[in-house]
Amino acid sequence: MIKWRKWIRILHRDIGYIAAGLTVIYAISGIAVNHVADWNPNYSIEKSVIKIEPIPDSILTSRELVFSILKKIGEKGKLKSSFSPDPNTLNIFVEGNTIEVDLKSGEVHQEKVTSRTLIRETNFLHLNAPKEIWTFVADIFAVALGFLAISGLFMIKGKKGITGRGAWLTALGILIPIVFLLIYYYKIF
Amino acid sequence: MQRLFLVLIGLSFFASITFCSDGNKYGKKLTVKEKTKISAILEKPKDFIGKKVLVEGTVVDVCKKRGCWIELASDKPYQKIKVKVNDGEIVFPLEEKGKTALVEGEVYEIKLSKEKALEKAKHEAEEHGTKFDPSKIEATTYYQIKGLGAVIK
Repeated sequence: MIKWRKWIRILHRDIGYIAAGLTVIYAISGIAVNHVADWNPNYSIEKSVIKIEPIPDSILTSRELVFSILKKIGEKGKLKSSFSPDPNTLNIFVEGNTIEVDLKSGEVHQEKVTSRTLIRETNFLHLNAPKEIWTFVADIFAVALGFLAISGLFMIKGKKGITGRGAWLTALGILIPIVFLLIYYYKIF
Repeated sequence: MQRLFLVLIGLSFFASITFCSDGNKYGKKLTVKEKTKISAILEKPKDFIGKKVLVEGTVVDVCKKRGCWIELASDKPYQKIKVKVNDGEIVFPLEEKGKTALVEGEVYEIKLSKEKALEKAKHEAEEHGTKFDPSKIEATTYYQIKGLGAVIK
């Protein structure tokens, strides 16, 4: 007789080891993106406002104007480009900083962006931003998780296995989403 | 096992260099060869509705939370156009702001009633942290590009 339970344990153990890293990545990102309405899971954005002298009708070229503003506010980051959404506003894009200048009032709004290291990378993978080969990896991971869930049910025999306590706990796990959906869609209970 | 581990790390490094060499690519491969000026679309938007276009411009804003849209500066002053992508299909990082994007997509029209325009303006004010003035909001029609693919340098 094939000792199928032994093989299930071996496969569950080894696939479990391989899946551990990705499971942690998906768990961290799962919490991070669950709360996207309350915080930005990828970036920390620091906003500030300062005032410089108004620049209503500048004789400088737009490039000279950009550099003179950067000097005034002490920004030394690498300049990427600039844009005027209207005649009185100038947006300057510097590495890690977006500067919006109200030329009439001299009000300067800055938005400094820093990446949330590690969490951002976990979101990148969890939300399958890279696509292509990562779709394949994520599909294999999903199949592996399915196998771990099913094989986990049959690893232990006896009272604490799927014929005893395990059956009740498994039923509870299945009931949680069903009850939620009944409440959510049909207002039952 | 250790060798396999090292080979995988080496391949990932190579892949990352390849990805960065000719700009960051998003979504589908660009197929339209001829560029359309953004100003041309904004001047006669109805002529472009439903058409696939290739546009180029500086990325002047990026969706902060989901990376699901970018705004491109036009070739004419004070103009810009929004490129919206399907959530999750393409995610634009904030670091792309200020860089030059080449975007392929379809032009479409959005008509908003006054109520919907109010909702949108309120949402945008919250997103940008600016003041929301409902007195200036009217029913509106505007035009966007549904982004299918992009290369940003």
